[in-house]
Amino acid sequence: MLACLCAVLWHLPAVPALNRTGDPGPGPSIQKTYDLTRYLEHQLRSLAGTYLNYLGPPFNEPDFNPPRLGAETLPRATVNLEVWRSLNDRLRLTQNYEAYSHLLCYLRGLNRQAATAELRRSLAHFCTSLQGLLGSIAGVMAALGYPLPQPLPGTEPTWTPGPAHSDFLQKMDDFWLLKELQTWLWRSAKDFNRLKKKMQPPAAAVTLHLEAHGF
Amino acid sequence: MPEDYTPDVRTDYIAQMMDISLYLKRPSRMGDSKRMRMTSNFQWLLLTVLLLYLMNQVNSQKKRTPRDLKCITNNLQVWDCSWRAPSGAGHGAAYEVCFENGSHSCYRLEKNIKLPALLPGDHEITINPLHDFGNFISKFTLNEKNVSLIPDAPEILDLSADFSTSTLHLKWNDKGSVFPHHSNVIWEIKVLRKKNMEIVKLVTHNTTLNGRDTVHHWSWISDMPLECATHYVGIRCYIDDPQFSGRKEWSDWSPLKNISWSPASQTKVFPQDRVLLVGSDITVCCVTQEKVLSAQIGSTYCPLIHLDGKNVAIKIRNISASESSGTNVVFSVEDNMFGTVIFAGYPPDIPQKLNCETYDLKEIICTWNPGRPTFLVGPRNTSYTLFESFSGKYVRFKRVELPTNESYQLFFQMLPNQEIYNFTLNARNPLGQSESTLLVNITEKVHPHIPTSVKVKDISSTAVTLSWHLPGSFAKIKLLCQIEINKTNSVHELRNVTMRGIENSSYLAAVDKLNPYTIYTFRIRCCTDPFWKWSKWSNEKQYLTTEAIPSKGPDTWREWSSDGKNLIIYWKPLPINEANGKILSYNVSCSSDEETQSLSEIPDPQHKAEIQLDKNDYIISVVAKNSVGSSPPSKIASMEIPNDDLKIEQAVRMGNGILLTWNYDPNVTCDYVIKWCNSSRSEPCLMDWKKVPSNSTETIIESDQFRPGVRYNFFVYGCRNQGYQLLRSIIGYVEELAPVVAPNFTVEDTSADSILVKWEEIPVEELRGFLRGYLFYFEKGERDTSKMRVLESGRSDIKVKNITDISQKTLRIADLQGKTSYHLVLRAYTDGGMGPEKSMFVVTKENSVGLIIAILIPVAVAVIVGVVTSILCYRKREWIKETFYPDIPNPENCKALQFQKSVCEGNSALKTLEMNPCTPNNVEVLETRSTVPKIEDTEIISPVAERPEDSTDAQPENHVVVSYCPPVIEEEIVNPGADEAGGASQVIYIDIQSMYQPQAKPEEEPENDPVVGTGYKPQMHLLVTSTVEDLAADDDLDKTAGYRPQANVNTWNLVSPDSPRSTDSNSEIVSFGSPCSINSRQFLIPPKDEDSPKSNGGGWSFTNFFQNKPND
Repeated sequence: MLACLCAVLWHLPAVPALNRTGDPGPGPSIQKTYDLTRYLEHQLRSLAGTYLNYLGPPFNEPDFNPPRLGAETLPRATVNLEVWRSLNDRLRLTQNYEAYSHLLCYLRGLNRQAATAELRRSLAHFCTSLQGLLGSIAGVMAALGYPLPQPLPGTEPTWTPGPAHSDFLQKMDDFWLLKELQTWLWRSAKDFNRLKKKMQPPAAAVTLHLEAHGF
Repeated sequence: MPEDYTPDVRTDYIAQMMDISLYLKRPSRMGDSKRMRMTSNFQWLLLTVLLLYLMNQVNSQKKRTPRDLKCITNNLQVWDCSWRAPSGAGHGAAYEVCFENGSHSCYRLEKNIKLPALLPGDHEITINPLHDFGNFISKFTLNEKNVSLIPDAPEILDLSADFSTSTLHLKWNDKGSVFPHHSNVIWEIKVLRKKNMEIVKLVTHNTTLNGRDTVHHWSWISDMPLECATHYVGIRCYIDDPQFSGRKEWSDWSPLKNISWSPASQTKVFPQDRVLLVGSDITVCCVTQEKVLSAQIGSTYCPLIHLDGKNVAIKIRNISASESSGTNVVFSVEDNMFGTVIFAGYPPDIPQKLNCETYDLKEIICTWNPGRPTFLVGPRNTSYTLFESFSGKYVRFKRVELPTNESYQLFFQMLPNQEIYNFTLNARNPLGQSESTLLVNITEKVHPHIPTSVKVKDISSTAVTLSWHLPGSFAKIKLLCQIEINKTNSVHELRNVTMRGIENSSYLAAVDKLNPYTIYTFRIRCCTDPFWKWSKWSNEKQYLTTEAIPSKGPDTWREWSSDGKNLIIYWKPLPINEANGKILSYNVSCSSDEETQSLSEIPDPQHKAEIQLDKNDYIISVVAKNSVGSSPPSKIASMEIPNDDLKIEQAVRMGNGILLTWNYDPNVTCDYVIKWCNSSRSEPCLMDWKKVPSNSTETIIESDQFRPGVRYNFFVYGCRNQGYQLLRSIIGYVEELAPVVAPNFTVEDTSADSILVKWEEIPVEELRGFLRGYLFYFEKGERDTSKMRVLESGRSDIKVKNITDISQKTLRIADLQGKTSYHLVLRAYTDGGMGPEKSMFVVTKENSVGLIIAILIPVAVAVIVGVVTSILCYRKREWIKETFYPDIPNPENCKALQFQKSVCEGNSALKTLEMNPCTPNNVEVLETRSTVPKIEDTEIISPVAERPEDSTDAQPENHVVVSYCPPVIEEEIVNPGADEAGGASQVIYIDIQSMYQPQAKPEEEPENDPVVGTGYKPQMHLLVTSTVEDLAADDDLDKTAGYRPQANVNTWNLVSPDSPRSTDSNSEIVSFGSPCSINSRQFLIPPKDEDSPKSNGGGWSFTNFFQNKPND
């Protein structure tokens, strides 16, 4: 199954469903994005385990729940249910796209800082997957005819390692980054599921079945 | 404190005091004793009062003079003397102070006097208070010893803090300029913490005063971060001037200065990101305005130490090494948490196994092992610097992203004209540094790269040049290269080549003494002189040397064809080391004195030529040719010299091959030739030949073609001038095997006591060895019985004859028995083992005399017996008649044949055992008695049933004989009771069919008639009754019977009287649906009948269970 998913990731740029003029409509690409989101959820679970162990106790303790101190710049995934319902498809997709753009950037910073080679490998692998998700969302937006959000100049998130950030605060940020990622992936899965049902063509071709073994 | 110095007492006061005392004493001398006692008491009182008065006078006098002169100094230059003012002196009282210091000088002043330091020795000082009460002048003697040195309290110039390192820096001035000479100073510094001023550090610090004002520094690293609590610092000093003889005292403490961290509103934990040594202690605090609930290091909770305000701290002792991301310390407040990360590790270990070498004399590569891990990663990892002291250059180690193993390496560019390098490898991390050094002459540490671009060029067929490339600046050193020469199926050969090094170039070496037309594999490795390390072997390079003319002519032999007209010339292909190339063709020529015939250009795979020749003496020469040229001719004479004295000998392989020997023959001049062939092949037979020098007398023939069990012919020829002579002819085996077939043998002749056997020879191919003899076995035995028997030599009944004369082909076996079957076996054997056996059965001929005797004797015996019998029978004929043929009684009187009709019709118990087919068809009653009442057949009672003795008492004479199935049964029943009555009745049943006849006397009750039978006895007594009462009797009967059925007979399918079937009294079918034992007449399998009634008992029983089951 993993190999299958990797193949999906690899071929994401070549997915015909991402073409704006593709005949099958946005359905298959939404399905793929949804599947990818679920896969990333799974992948994050193992990555977070490794990374939190690297951060050491109490970060890897199951009931550890620190306040969201210095992580204000992270895009917040939690949203009021009413607000979420009131969003339209375009807003939803835009928020997803923007959130993952930011998260990906932070994640790359995390990768640069990781001390062990194994961790760097895992993070790099996840970054690649997340990049794939971003591309996939862009593809869905293109298929639906929505423009991609343009990054505002100067608001490009930056990773600033250095003395300004103490190691502890950095660890807290890392923790929150992983937590927000998890929440975002969960929210995205919900978003795409909703979108998928909405866009379901009469004979939607399900291209990939994700089994729930490892989840 | 300075001493009080009392001035000299006035003499006039003392005189007054003495007068008063004397006056008081006088009257006491005039009284009596009692009065005297009273008077003395009074005197004492008076004296005391007087003394007190005087003392008061003196004191009041004293109080009116300056006293308690004290002198102190704080700089050794000025003495500050003070005294206690006289009583009554006003605040602004003035004094005149005079003292001698070389000259007499007086000062008028108010309170105290600052004197310049006086010289050692006593000095008198007079202090005269200038007031109105009289002339009370005080005189003091002043010495330096009485002066105290109390320095001024030091002043802290600056107290600063480095919060990042928790270090306090103290700065103060020693004010040394005020002291006239050098002296030691002891400073005492105290550090207080928190608002309640707990002393956390008290330390002394020694300096010297050097006449100038000097600013001193003192630093202290706090065990608690300075941010955690306010820290106060005070200082005092003690001047230890050796030249000052007075008293030295500590100065006062300086005013305290404090350091505190001005907290922002944000809560913080200190220290942040601290790196420290494993095993050390650390205090971590949380500066906060909120109440801290708990603190933990990693997952371990720690007790809180409360500081000022709501700040708390925890103390971590003996910290263990951190994980890669550090050890987390977390403080939790109500709804938040704060923390810090501590990195506990080790300073870098001394780099181990530092080694520097070069591959190319351009770049030095230094490798080392970091030693003990520091547990610090990322930015706190150890950084390495490789410093070369002669050139002053250095390189830094860039952290490898993925260190492959525990070895680190650094490259250092070599410097021109520098051979000796002194390297220092410095390792540094936040906890410390270490280093390791290495002095190396780099020209002695050359580990060349692997030689590349190996090429081979030929010089001749036996020599080549090898060229290879070796990168590196080896211009000034010597290179030693090793060339490995590999030839297939040969040992490796190593040749060393020494050469001058060249700058970055290719190297050439010639390799000679090679074989032509041979595939060689070359590879090269190099080192420098002096040797340090070999380079790796270069890739292998294969090369085929060029061809040369064949060095020898082919090994040749010739055979005449079977008809003697053609000469067949054989030659062997040249071995590769003699062919020196690919042999293309052969030239064969036959020359005699008269003519020369030649065959040219015989292509290579053909190694045989046939030339038609007459029997002249020819010399045949064969030449092999390759692309380069022709080999020298190899010659052989065609003529064969006959040898009459020739014997065929035998040989078997010993060891590696077949050893052939011959006697030395001086006439043999050229060589010996041994040729061999398979003996079964037809002529001319040639498998191979071998040439042996003429001086040898033996050879060992080996060949892969030799097979075990195959006979080969070997011929030894001696070469003489004119031709070859056959010297010996030998047959041999490389290995003898057992024969594969048995000799084919036949019986030539057989007599009554001997057999002549003849056999045939075994063919050579099947013999597979030299025949050593036959084994002949013979034994008595029929074909069937002994067929499968193995002939064992150890068995005594087998006779063996070993025939070792292999020319013998017949054998006569004597001393046999007549008309007896013999088993003959013959097998052949070689040294390889026994062959298979061939067997035959032969019956010897009959002995006729014995046969005649065997017929006559039984005939004679039979006649005699017949005669004797006849005579005896004749003489005893009356007795025989009475015994065997008595008078026949009338069958009409016999009651044995009367059957009870009613039994057959109404008694259901009887019908189950009715023997319909068993009616005797012929009854003969030999003797009847009137005492025998009846023969009743109302019930079949087995005659075997022996009634108990008590039951027989009633009518012992009665007996009933019942017929049975066998067609003819003659049964004699002897009733003991009947014997007593004078006779026995005998019944002969002839036919069973009469059982169907109506039975007589059905009224009789048969169960009361005991029956005792002595003839046939069935194995059980079978009683079948219709009444329940009979069951008891039946049980009794069971006890007496021998055989018993395995189940209770009553439970079997007996039709009860009230069953529906019972009405059909004549049907009799119950017994026929089931097989019955011929003895017991009991049903072995009860018929399946849905309507069969329940058993007699009526209650639950095992039988019921089974019977009811179908109904269910």
